[in-house]
Amino acid sequence: MNKRVLGAIGAAVAAVLLLSGCAGGGSAASTTTHDKTLRLATMTVPQSLDPKDATGSALPFFQAVYDTLVLRTPDGDYKPMLATEWSYNDDQTVLSMTLRTGVTFDDGTPFDAKAAKANLERFRDSGGPDAANLAGITVDVVDDTHLTLTLQQPNPGLLFFLSDSAGLMANPSDFAQKDALVTSPDGTGPYVLDKDKTAIGTTWVYEKRKDYWGTAPDFSTVTMQVFDNENAVVNGLKTGQIDAAVLQTADQQLAAEQDKDLTLQDVLFDFQGILLFDRGGAVTPALAKPEVRQALNYALDRETLLKVVRDGRGQVTSQVWGVDSQGYEKSLDDYYSYDPAKAKQLLAEAGYPNGFELTLPRLTSIVTDNIASALQTDFAKVGVKLTWADVDAASALKQIFVEKKFSGMVMNMGQSSNDWIVYSTLIAPGTFNFFGTMDDEVNTLAAQARALPADQTAELYQKMNERIVQQAWFVPFYRMTYKLVTVPGITAAPQSGMAVPSIYNYSLSK
Amino acid sequence: MLGFLIRRLASSIALLLVTALLTFVLLSIPNQDVGRQLLGMQATQQAIDAKNAELGLDRPILVQFFDWLTHALQGDFGRSWFSSENVATAIGNRLPVTLSLMIGVTLVTAVFGYLLGVWAGTRRGRVDTFVQVFSVAGYALPGFLVTIVIVIVFAVKLGWFPAIGYTPITTSFTGWLSTITLPVISLSLAAVAGVAQQVRSSVIEVSRSDYIRTLTTRGLPRRRILFRHVLRNASAPALTVLGLQFVGLLGGAVIVEQIFGLPGIGSMTIKYTSQGDIPIIMGLVMLTAIGVVIINLLVDLAIGALLPKARVS
Repeated sequence: MNKRVLGAIGAAVAAVLLLSGCAGGGSAASTTTHDKTLRLATMTVPQSLDPKDATGSALPFFQAVYDTLVLRTPDGDYKPMLATEWSYNDDQTVLSMTLRTGVTFDDGTPFDAKAAKANLERFRDSGGPDAANLAGITVDVVDDTHLTLTLQQPNPGLLFFLSDSAGLMANPSDFAQKDALVTSPDGTGPYVLDKDKTAIGTTWVYEKRKDYWGTAPDFSTVTMQVFDNENAVVNGLKTGQIDAAVLQTADQQLAAEQDKDLTLQDVLFDFQGILLFDRGGAVTPALAKPEVRQALNYALDRETLLKVVRDGRGQVTSQVWGVDSQGYEKSLDDYYSYDPAKAKQLLAEAGYPNGFELTLPRLTSIVTDNIASALQTDFAKVGVKLTWADVDAASALKQIFVEKKFSGMVMNMGQSSNDWIVYSTLIAPGTFNFFGTMDDEVNTLAAQARALPADQTAELYQKMNERIVQQAWFVPFYRMTYKLVTVPGITAAPQSGMAVPSIYNYSLSK
Repeated sequence: MLGFLIRRLASSIALLLVTALLTFVLLSIPNQDVGRQLLGMQATQQAIDAKNAELGLDRPILVQFFDWLTHALQGDFGRSWFSSENVATAIGNRLPVTLSLMIGVTLVTAVFGYLLGVWAGTRRGRVDTFVQVFSVAGYALPGFLVTIVIVIVFAVKLGWFPAIGYTPITTSFTGWLSTITLPVISLSLAAVAGVAQQVRSSVIEVSRSDYIRTLTTRGLPRRRILFRHVLRNASAPALTVLGLQFVGLLGGAVIVEQIFGLPGIGSMTIKYTSQGDIPIIMGLVMLTAIGVVIINLLVDLAIGALLPKARVS
């Protein structure tokens, strides 16, 4: 062979050997012990690192640097964090809290009751995602370590909120300067943001805080890297470049399952279904009749839909209460079995023997082609003509929630472990009940549940759930099974009431 | 040449201004409710209105545009609505990733595309057939499929290269090289096929021209004819293709960036455009427009240098 060719081949082999030394990954299988860096993959980009902008799946970005007043354990229990004790008065309108001493923010400012008050009032008044959750509370400082939260009426979701984004405590000295916390978080949490290594929008790097008041975390560094597809995430998990991620799509879950070294755990949080806003019949008169809404539920072949859309990865259901809530009743999952004949009969009883026309908005990120055609086919079998109106992500919210153009929409929604939050989010007049249609029995049950301590409300929420299902306020399809995937050496626990684990739920395997 | 440059510069500035205005207006027309998107569905209308006012969205579109333009001319492109990133910093963070790909792919394409094209155009016969088949295959194979196969074989199975991520060249040269090698190979296959085909056709066409035949009959060495006359004249179309491919890679690298988890301009464009994040989109559009103007100018200058007859008087 030509010497030049041999030389070129030799150079290529040398280059590959050199570069493969830099691959840095190796297979997850080869890793038996783990370094002290935790590499998390996420599809969520936080709006900013200011707690007033914290929402949903972005919470771990904040938990790394900000502690919450109350800690929510993986199974949903409340434990002390920055607040060491708390109690309600008899009528559940005053929450008294005792705060931890010896805790400081990044700049050495002590955390005390004044700081907690400043944070809570900021959430209440900022107009951000938590403003509605803390609306109407009055915060009074008793002394440096005690404060009271006075409510205009009982709020059974308050402790949940204080263990979630509304409980994140930031240094009040940053509040005066607009946007100070947006990219420079200042909290009391277990980590501090390494701004030099962080590229906001793609990679956030957190280093362990040396003077953390609590138990030191296992990891010296935590990186959170944003991806826009799960294919790359799975490849990263398989090569050990990513330590943990939650996979939503069935095909990527399947790809991860093929690597026997990865650990997969079920996460049941989001459900998918149609939220029927228009129960008063303002846009689609037929929907005012419970029989029509029930007919839509009977018309749907949930089992087939789950199999086609998610390869069977989930649990069909007829209820919007999740498995971690008090109101959940297993028997309600199959309340509406697939029965087109019964659906037709109900439509006829309601005065719609030939069906009716229904237009729903279609966000292609949620309503994929197979969901769109399956719903159209199932509904057409009972005479309901479903038309999809394409809406773009940018203007969808305005068209749906402000202009109230549609009678309902298909959504993926988290199922809170807190029953009052399920009620106030989905049932009570508000965002997802913007037509304000209510039911006397539900109102009575809600009033009773609101006034009682959480340990006495299970029966009330179960009755409320039954009533909602019977009246067919929604057309739920299924709860979607997500997979929490970890590499060898890393342990993680799914978080009740969240799609992703809290930052505290990760540890090095013992 | 100076007059040509001045005219191109003036038309380029006009082009950039028109592009900016059109983009801004078109982006602002949709019925978008940014305040609600930012504050969530449970926010009050009052809070939403306040947020929109804070972002300046309660003003007429042209006022918003001139405000943006004034700041942009001072180098302030604003901040992302949805991630709080400084636009210039965000693009600056991602540009090296995409530029690495673009430069890598262009170099690989230029070298291998020209070599294959010249080889096929001059040798013809079996070599030509081989290059033709390669070109058709390069075009026909779906890019995403090629990329997925490459990442599974060389990263996941063999572990020779990282499956995801990007190492800046300033951090580690070999690390950088290892993270861009597979993406560059993935993107180069179709590009090499395109340029090879173009060069082959041009070489054959020029080789058949009268003046080449005349030079050959006068006994000039074959190599000298090839390098000084054939390649020089055959380069213009190939350079144009190369330039177009380079510009196209700014957005065309999306799939490769997504599969390799590379935080580049392509995936950024998709993500922020679907959200309607106008500050970021404007920054990206201006970057692309400026890139197109510069590349076209460079291509014109290169063609002019290679082919005196192509120079603009």
